[in-house]
Amino acid sequence: MISRRNLLGLAGAGLAATAIAGCTGGSTGGAAASSGGGQKGSGTIQWWSNHPGSSKEVEQKIIDAWNAENPNLPVQLVDGGANYEELGQKFNAALAGGDLPDVIVASDVTWFNFALNEATAPLDDLWKEAGVDASSYVDTLREDYAYDGKHYGVPFARSTTLMYWNQDILAKAGLAADKGPQSWAEFAEWAPKLVEANGGKPALMVPDGSNYLDWYFQGMIWTFGGSYSKEWTPNFTDPKSIEAGTFLAEQFKAGHIGIAKDANNTFGIGGSAGLLQSTGSLGGLTKAAQFPFITTYLPGPKPGACTGGAGLAIPNGISDERKLNATKFIDFVTNTKNTITFTQATGYMPVRKDAVDDPEEKAYLEKTPNAMTAIKQLAENTAPQDYARVFIPGGGARIGGGLDKITIGGQDVEQVFEQLQSETATVYKRDIEPLL
Amino acid sequence: MKVIGYLGLALVVAMILVPVYFIVVTSLKTQPDIYSDPLTWIPNPLQPGNYSYVMETVNFGTYLRNSIIITVILTVVQVALGVMSAYAFAFLRFPFRNALFLVVVAALMVPNQITIISNYALVASLGWRNTFVGIIVPLAGVAFGAFLMRNHFLSLPKEIMEAARMDGTSFLRTLWRVVLPMSWPTVVAFTLITLVNEWNQYLWPFLIADTDVVTPLPVGLTRLQQNEGLTNWGPVMAGTVLTTVPILIVYLILQKRMIKGLTAGAVKG
Repeated sequence: MISRRNLLGLAGAGLAATAIAGCTGGSTGGAAASSGGGQKGSGTIQWWSNHPGSSKEVEQKIIDAWNAENPNLPVQLVDGGANYEELGQKFNAALAGGDLPDVIVASDVTWFNFALNEATAPLDDLWKEAGVDASSYVDTLREDYAYDGKHYGVPFARSTTLMYWNQDILAKAGLAADKGPQSWAEFAEWAPKLVEANGGKPALMVPDGSNYLDWYFQGMIWTFGGSYSKEWTPNFTDPKSIEAGTFLAEQFKAGHIGIAKDANNTFGIGGSAGLLQSTGSLGGLTKAAQFPFITTYLPGPKPGACTGGAGLAIPNGISDERKLNATKFIDFVTNTKNTITFTQATGYMPVRKDAVDDPEEKAYLEKTPNAMTAIKQLAENTAPQDYARVFIPGGGARIGGGLDKITIGGQDVEQVFEQLQSETATVYKRDIEPLL
Repeated sequence: MKVIGYLGLALVVAMILVPVYFIVVTSLKTQPDIYSDPLTWIPNPLQPGNYSYVMETVNFGTYLRNSIIITVILTVVQVALGVMSAYAFAFLRFPFRNALFLVVVAALMVPNQITIISNYALVASLGWRNTFVGIIVPLAGVAFGAFLMRNHFLSLPKEIMEAARMDGTSFLRTLWRVVLPMSWPTVVAFTLITLVNEWNQYLWPFLIADTDVVTPLPVGLTRLQQNEGLTNWGPVMAGTVLTTVPILIVYLILQKRMIKGLTAGAVKG
């Protein structure tokens, strides 16, 4: 029975492994954010991206060009997740655990929280040091990342909401095949005709709450005179906001508006006359749709659409040298030539002012008026998003869930909006107010 | 009565098989066919191209290799740890045995998600990010096996253990020659559960894997889905089928052993 002692040892080892998996001590955590000089890098710039608009190939192409110019400072593309939220999750883990990347993709919803908690670096001084001319970015897109007089992101895969219309169905319904409705009231008039022309299928498809319905609805709520919030004050219970919510719920009930997880596909196979979607879907739809379609502004009165999409940010916990290199790389990714390459492949908007004057881009836009719509709408029909959606933690998901309730769930609009009002106020008091 | 039984059976089979059938069928459909209304039960036209699309767009071979490495190592380690610690807990007498066992069971009660951040911190500080070690080690210790196997061992007839001791069988030999042969069904069931579980791991490998070098299938295949773009579900389903097949084969092989094992260790009267 000599083995008894050995077995005790083995059992001990088993327990130790359980302990590692079960509850590692927190002593190693939290060091990243506070470490004095910041983390040194490995000589490679790590770019965490979720490849918005299925852009992995284009991103790699841009990186290859950078690597050819800077063989001493290569860039590595890291798969950061399937969507912006997963990437945020992964970055949060890195914040707690150290080993930070150099550049991350931060969406309209995630950048502010990173900035507020000093997880990402203010860029203004870095721009100066690296000789980046920030004024060459499209003003509205750059200012989306401003907080307290500083900028925490660079526009990258930027989009607005767009309407897509199946021209065959527009024609069948006896409507002009080259423009969308000018107001949501006009849409309500068109809708029965469009439904009839397409065999009872919805006139307009919109993605559901877990696929950013809250983003698409934002423009709609504005045209009714309502909003999610006025600065930090939630505005859901404003009668005009409730009127917009009621309009959405009624149009859904009447079968005029369809809500689905994967609205793109429904539209793409002719399952609806119209689609409310991001500009980032243009690339995919152009390839997939078997019918002619146009893109139009969202219905007015102006502004009837919001900007969105993602930018690039730099973690605060890395060394100054890494930050500077990251700034230079971001400048490269978004330079005139690369923003043109990137946006033509995906459908996002060029982020540099002079991109639209580039002869090659001019020719492209003339050839593809659908891509032009977004750029023109940006100047004419958009406004920055409400704080309640993009700045208050969990805002997008919370509002999206509420909108699901009043449409698919059939719940009372006033009640749901009141709940959103109080929840938003609570989260603001808890998470934001102490940090301002 | 019999009829109701058969109806229930048919219902359960349908509930399980219809979704599986749709995954397989969708993997062979073209994009418009997937969304056609009314839905089609047979792909028309047949689109086997979805499978080659998967092979071409993502590094399927690499993901498969990674998945196999991670799953096999994890399963071996977890089963070995589980069986051995359970054997000790069941048959060894040592101080604080029950208290220690309680600690192990308590580890079972802590949800994985809670420990992720601290695990990540540890793994990152060890420089294990984007390595197999970093993915495997924190997943390797699981209390479930110790708990399941110990309870099974305690249910074995004492007389056989005593007979073995009378014959002078050593402690470890008893494990191999007496206890395990009577426990194959439980061990195989435990192995199967572990295999499936580890094969489908998502969150942890996703956090630790940065590049294709260590990315397992479930994480790698999300690349077929697209954000703010247009997801073509045909290839996604093709990827799903390809991911399911290896584990299905293993299951069929092990299942046979499970039934054999039920009769193997019986006491002969």
